[in-house]
Amino acid sequence: MSDKADIQDYLAAFDDIPGTRIYTAKRARQGYHLNQFAMSLMKAENRDAWKADEKAYLERWPMSEAQKQAVIARDYNRLLDLGGNIYFLAKVFSTDGLSFVQAVSTMTGMTVEDYQAMMNAGGRSPKGVRSIKDAY
Amino acid sequence: MARISAGVATSHVPLLGVAVDQCKTGDAYFGPIFAGYDWTKRWEAEQKPDVIVLVYNDHASAFDANIIPTFAIGTGEHFKPADEGWGPRAVPDVSGHPDLAWHIAQSLILDDFDMTIINQMDVDHGLTVPLSMMFGTPAAWPVKVIPLAVNVVTYPVPSGNRCWMLGEAIRRAVESFPEDLNVQIWGTGGMSHQLQGQRAGLINAEWDNRFMDSLVGDSDAARRIPHIEYLRETGSEGIEMVMWLIMRGALGQRTRLLHRHYHVPCSNTAIGHLVLEPD
Repeated sequence: MSDKADIQDYLAAFDDIPGTRIYTAKRARQGYHLNQFAMSLMKAENRDAWKADEKAYLERWPMSEAQKQAVIARDYNRLLDLGGNIYFLAKVFSTDGLSFVQAVSTMTGMTVEDYQAMMNAGGRSPKGVRSIKDAY
Repeated sequence: MARISAGVATSHVPLLGVAVDQCKTGDAYFGPIFAGYDWTKRWEAEQKPDVIVLVYNDHASAFDANIIPTFAIGTGEHFKPADEGWGPRAVPDVSGHPDLAWHIAQSLILDDFDMTIINQMDVDHGLTVPLSMMFGTPAAWPVKVIPLAVNVVTYPVPSGNRCWMLGEAIRRAVESFPEDLNVQIWGTGGMSHQLQGQRAGLINAEWDNRFMDSLVGDSDAARRIPHIEYLRETGSEGIEMVMWLIMRGALGQRTRLLHRHYHVPCSNTAIGHLVLEPD
């Protein structure tokens, strides 16, 4: 990175990584209110209000309907597509009492048991999932 | 004069904090992870550093989507553990070192690093987990801490080269502080992990170990690793390893390895830990 990167090339390369959404400025802009909603759950009184009535709590935030529905469904891949960032979304699954392993496994299409077994066996190999274009 | 006597690198997985807080550090899952820190706990007790410049990233705790500082330095007297959604960790408050922190902040700005200065902020697992790993469960942390938060969440994050240069500038700043202080610099986060999408769970032990190799001795090859390589090879959250380069840059031209530890897995993550000194 000591050579100055062209921002277009820099960003374009991110889309070549399979099963991954890099949190670019574009996503940060799209997900601003979604992420700020998630952030609000760091306060105990907000968690209580959220747990008491999720839909009413979401009305406080100028989020898209798609974002609200994906939050209610806890569809984390969809939330990433809609501009969510995992460290912000972590406030939602932490409030649900889920660990990172439990929540992250829901994005992989694996059961939490299978996901945990994969991690205990050394994790997912990078082989074949480094690049869509070059398939290595 | 103040001096940087050593560098420590470590992962800062939140589950490690849970293991400490729930007294599970000796069980079958956590035992092999924590065993790799026993050497360092003894070494830190002997070294008795006065101050740690603790490089970490905030995980949407002190900084929300509103303000995104690339490099921020904590100049406050105290920092409280953050409530990350399950209540704050029951660990001691962190004591800062405002005199040295302000000295570093001013020196860095004159040295072309335009720092964000934070007087009040809560510190999350990125900062408190490394303290637990190195000091266990004391009633008060035995050292002052200067938090140095790096944006590794919203892209573009700082380049590896820029991180290395910041480390070099921190060393110059520390060495121009008149008080005689034993200062360590810690670089935290990593190693390979991906917490999102269908590719979550990625681990690359071969790459991680090559990266650790490259921080020992006189190589500076790691400063030129582009972001895309971290992302492809070590997962989207593997980018946190650029923070290790701030630590490495602060140790000067050559380093000597004192201790090394690597373990897979902890939660979704590969645990890596190095203790280095300037050589």
